[in-house]
Amino acid sequence: MPLVNNKVGNDCTVGTDKTLADGKDLVESVIKVVACYRHLAACVGGCTDSLQLRDELRQTREKALNLAEAIRLHLTSHLRDKSLPEDQRKEMELLWVAFSSSLELLHVDMCKVFSMGDNFSLANTASLVQTGLQGGGSEVAARALSLADLNQEPPTLPAGLESQERSTMEQEISQIDHMIDDMEKKVNVLRWMVEPRGPQYADPLSSTESASLALLSVDEEQPGHEPRCQRSLIFVFLLLFAVVLVAATLSVCLVLFS
Amino acid sequence: MFTYVCVCVCVCVCVCVCVCVCVCVCVSPLQMEKVIVAMQDPDMGMKMRNQRLLITVIPHAMTGVCVLLLWCSTESLHLGNMLVKYGYIYPLKEPRCLVLRPDESPYRFQVRPLSMSILPTFYNPAIYLAKKNIRKQGELMEYEKERYSLLHKRINHTWDFVVMQAREQLRASKQRRKADRIVLECQEQAYWLINRPPVRSITLHCIQLYCAIEACRKALGRNRVKSSICLEGFLKYSEQYLNHDPIMQGCLPSNPWISDDTAHWTMNAEIVPVPTRLRVERWSFSFMELLNDAMGRREFMTYLEKEFSAENLYFWQACEDIRHGESSKIVEKVEDIYKNFLAPGAARWVNIDSKTMDKTLEGIKRPHRFVMDDAQMHIYFLMKKDSYPRYLKSDLYKNMLAKAIVPQETKKSVFPFMRRQRHSSPSPAQTATQAAEEEGLAKGAGANSAAGSHF
Repeated sequence: MPLVNNKVGNDCTVGTDKTLADGKDLVESVIKVVACYRHLAACVGGCTDSLQLRDELRQTREKALNLAEAIRLHLTSHLRDKSLPEDQRKEMELLWVAFSSSLELLHVDMCKVFSMGDNFSLANTASLVQTGLQGGGSEVAARALSLADLNQEPPTLPAGLESQERSTMEQEISQIDHMIDDMEKKVNVLRWMVEPRGPQYADPLSSTESASLALLSVDEEQPGHEPRCQRSLIFVFLLLFAVVLVAATLSVCLVLFS
Repeated sequence: MFTYVCVCVCVCVCVCVCVCVCVCVCVSPLQMEKVIVAMQDPDMGMKMRNQRLLITVIPHAMTGVCVLLLWCSTESLHLGNMLVKYGYIYPLKEPRCLVLRPDESPYRFQVRPLSMSILPTFYNPAIYLAKKNIRKQGELMEYEKERYSLLHKRINHTWDFVVMQAREQLRASKQRRKADRIVLECQEQAYWLINRPPVRSITLHCIQLYCAIEACRKALGRNRVKSSICLEGFLKYSEQYLNHDPIMQGCLPSNPWISDDTAHWTMNAEIVPVPTRLRVERWSFSFMELLNDAMGRREFMTYLEKEFSAENLYFWQACEDIRHGESSKIVEKVEDIYKNFLAPGAARWVNIDSKTMDKTLEGIKRPHRFVMDDAQMHIYFLMKKDSYPRYLKSDLYKNMLAKAIVPQETKKSVFPFMRRQRHSSPSPAQTATQAAEEEGLAKGAGANSAAGSHF
């Protein structure tokens, strides 16, 4: 239903600014949830796969779908409003493109989890691949659901969760399919006309974040890294040696002067 | 002592696992998963170790030599390499080297995604490269930078989403413990190393596609002609070909589909001692008709040899051969053409203007299917304007026309109901005249009735 905006003057710009801000918040949260879902989906089939992981996946999925429904209504109603000013429309189209891309990613991840669930059944834990993962994804799920912490005690999960989940997953996958089709039919956004805001090369994250992440990156076959690793090892050994030397001199002094 | 016992155990179980592996070697991925599970079995499979990075300890690593010891067969190295190549195992020390080394280098299992989405999503590689770019603060490998800018061009409209999603994924990964983060990063890196697309370069295939696209573009840019003018041309064409159309005029001696007599086909075969008259007449309609007919081309060649300009037709034929021939032979064919027709002092040197000659010689350095197009076009028009009209006026052609046979229509059989039909169905022209007559009669009859709906 197109919104009829009768107000003239500052009030209407404030109204549309708010809707734009709302839209942006919603799209950002859906992107966050999709990223968390992807992280959780990477553990399926591995040694940390469990009923709890599947439950977390389910909760994240539900949240993503609720957000998606809200954004879809919000954006569709605004983009079908013919009286929307041009710059607002451009902003909305950017949000639209971001939202449809996240829907597609979510769809791909859900299909992947669905097919993996087929092949790696939790009933037979010996068939799970030992991938080296140790922890669960509870913190990631908590981030997705924007909760400070998930329930301290894991809820008692029914044993038939897996088969129940499979049928709901099928429904949800087709729901997303319909949503994508519906969006294409209702609103005609010319994607090639949309221009992104940001630069090609993303700015690095804030210095603390990037520094901590850089430490984690595994050594690759780049010549720069090898001496760096060796240098840090040498430094550690030197430090140890110095400490040992100091301890030795102290003990010698003690022995001599006691 | 302990290691000796371990080695003995490994050797003892290898026989059992060998049998399993032999069965599962060349089948579906699910069966491959069973092999992997068997390899990881705590009793029967291999011994897992811990990987020690600086301060982190990650379990479930194994050495290359352990993997090979599991199967004591000559195929074990090959099978191990396959496992690495397809991503069931990935190396931890040198991730770009996707080979199974029979030494102490560490490997780890991962869950291989079984089915990828059918639609190619460009988001996934773009997000991975954006993440890597952020993490490494811009220090990507050359081919990664190239791929990044290509993807940026391809999905430019959604680049904001790509960057935001990359940041969110990095933030989500921070929620996990360090060891898990490292494992997930290694897995992702291994996945993209295996699924790395080949580096794009402008290949000959691209040049050929480009030429084909250019031809289509030229075709699109042709001048539009008014339908009244082109209908006139169409009428002329139809009139010219009316006698030659088997449906309109019937085929002589008889239609093989009706009379089961294949004389029509044998008389009009590719090479016959004496061609039919209709065929020889068709040669005078257009130059393309002459060239497309094998006998016509042969006759024309004889004529040209008399005129000492046969090299034009040989050149044209060689160029056609390249255009429609096998890709693998293109290079040698172009070489032959150059040697025989274009090189100074060649045996059959063709006369092409200097501009076209320069362009062709440039193109010969990178031969592809359409490299001779300009020269071929030049020679074609030369023959069409010069030799072809003279051929049609020549004695050779006229003799051919006189010699050509006109097959007799098969005599009608004595019994009327066994008549062999010359026409497969009544000619449309005849039915049209009949319908017009009937309409005239109807009009005459209906002239008395009141003027009503006359359709």
